[in-house]
Amino acid sequence: MGIQVWQIMVLTFLAFFFICEGLSTSIFANQPVIIGTITGIVMGDIGTGLAVGATLQLMILGVGTYGGASIPDYVTGAMIGTVFAITSGKGMEFGMGLAVPVGLLMVQLDVLARFSNVFFSKRVEAAIERMDFKGMARNTWLGAFSWGLSRAIPVFLMLIFGQNLVNAITEYMPEWLMSGLSVAGGLLPAVGIAILLRYLPVKNYIAYLLIGFIAAAYLKVPMVGVAIMGVALAIIAFKQEVAKNQNVVVVNQGAVQEGLLDGEYED
Amino acid sequence: MENMKTNQEKITSQDINSVSKRWILASQITWNYEKMMAIGYLYSILPVLRKLYKKEEELKAAMKNHVQFFNTTPHMGGFILGIDIATEAEGKNSSKDGVETANGIKTGLMGPFAGVGDTIFGVLIPTICGSIAAYMGQQGNVTGVVIWILVNIAIMAFRYLTVGIGYREGTKLIASAKDKLDALTSAATLLGITVVGALIPTVVRANITATFTTGEVTLAGQDILDQIMPSLVPVLIVAAIYVLLGKKKMTSTKAILIVMGASIIFAAIGFLG
Repeated sequence: MGIQVWQIMVLTFLAFFFICEGLSTSIFANQPVIIGTITGIVMGDIGTGLAVGATLQLMILGVGTYGGASIPDYVTGAMIGTVFAITSGKGMEFGMGLAVPVGLLMVQLDVLARFSNVFFSKRVEAAIERMDFKGMARNTWLGAFSWGLSRAIPVFLMLIFGQNLVNAITEYMPEWLMSGLSVAGGLLPAVGIAILLRYLPVKNYIAYLLIGFIAAAYLKVPMVGVAIMGVALAIIAFKQEVAKNQNVVVVNQGAVQEGLLDGEYED
Repeated sequence: MENMKTNQEKITSQDINSVSKRWILASQITWNYEKMMAIGYLYSILPVLRKLYKKEEELKAAMKNHVQFFNTTPHMGGFILGIDIATEAEGKNSSKDGVETANGIKTGLMGPFAGVGDTIFGVLIPTICGSIAAYMGQQGNVTGVVIWILVNIAIMAFRYLTVGIGYREGTKLIASAKDKLDALTSAATLLGITVVGALIPTVVRANITATFTTGEVTLAGQDILDQIMPSLVPVLIVAAIYVLLGKKKMTSTKAILIVMGASIIFAAIGFLG
């Protein structure tokens, strides 16, 4: 199954749109599982898009993009992985095998986009000197092209030229590599979870990690059920902490007054 | 003849809404290594500056002031804009130097707000929504993705209100919210960790294909392990990667490549499948 011309055009446009949307309104939010699903819709196989996106999503849980650090672009990875998982007919694991290297290559272009915007930043500063309000607005918005093209151009090229390469790969890919990628698809979510555990203050909250584990592993509670239970636990903890903080404030005020009284006696 | 009163421009709700829209759309669109979010900040606050500073040199000074380095969580920046606008408008009306105070507020708040904002919007919400969406997605169910999109729409609506909240509540917001923000962060953290606990046995798939033969009895490795504890292998793998990530010079990208390499080796020798 090949890729249609209109699909290449739509996906190239979406690659431009998704990065800008994620930086602004953030409804699709540059999240692999959402982007994979939408790519799946464009390609006419939502299930594969969902599967590729979901596995990538689990792999990068806890990898935040805030503070200006570039991380592997698994959003573009999800698009490319989904497309070739579908067109090659080899399924989700094959898509994952492509999505990871694509995401790693794309990080260089993220850096390039962030550098390119220095140019528009300088032009805004020049416009301030001239009191040129239109120029300020225009150069602010032109930043969208640094972001958008840094994704759209590689996606376009990969979709145009990638097909032959992918065909060659699928033809000569050995069985052991395919089964290895299949195992990796199952194990990679562990990386995302471990990164997250490194980031979160797990040592203080180890009890909740165990509660969640027991609910899912032994009691077979579905994920949404666990989340609702987590909300219940969070509400209890929130109320307790607010009450505790109020007590601390009262106690502190008492201590301050006592201190003053002591001081007076010494005088 | 110019009257002193003409300086007393009132900030209307249209102004605030215009700043909100601009901040949501443009806060990061000109993000760059030199000034980070400064261009987005200037573009957002520009309608208010043009209203407050009527003299050309005043306006130019104000614009240059706001094009200085700025970076925070985009979701929280609206509060800072609102507080900034309140301070500068106040300073303008009482002929004090509001700009100086506003600068202090901006640089003083962007760090703490980023701390809370990155935790909640950058990590916890993506963790909780992402876990549910990905878990359902692996079973071929799009409901989780739709829920996440709806949550993101709700977050955007909240962001639209933050400039107004910051403007009305001004600096007292920080003092009053401080205790509750901490409690909220820790409650959200607890929720995130509970979900992660459930995530380990449900999404990490590791099927042991190795078998052990003692005499005439052949035991499947997976069956033995299941009797010790369900999902024992996923727990051990997560623990191993957790330890690995604690090593110096180890990055998440390297960890991903190591896991891919190890998967191929274990599959090739028939241990996992």
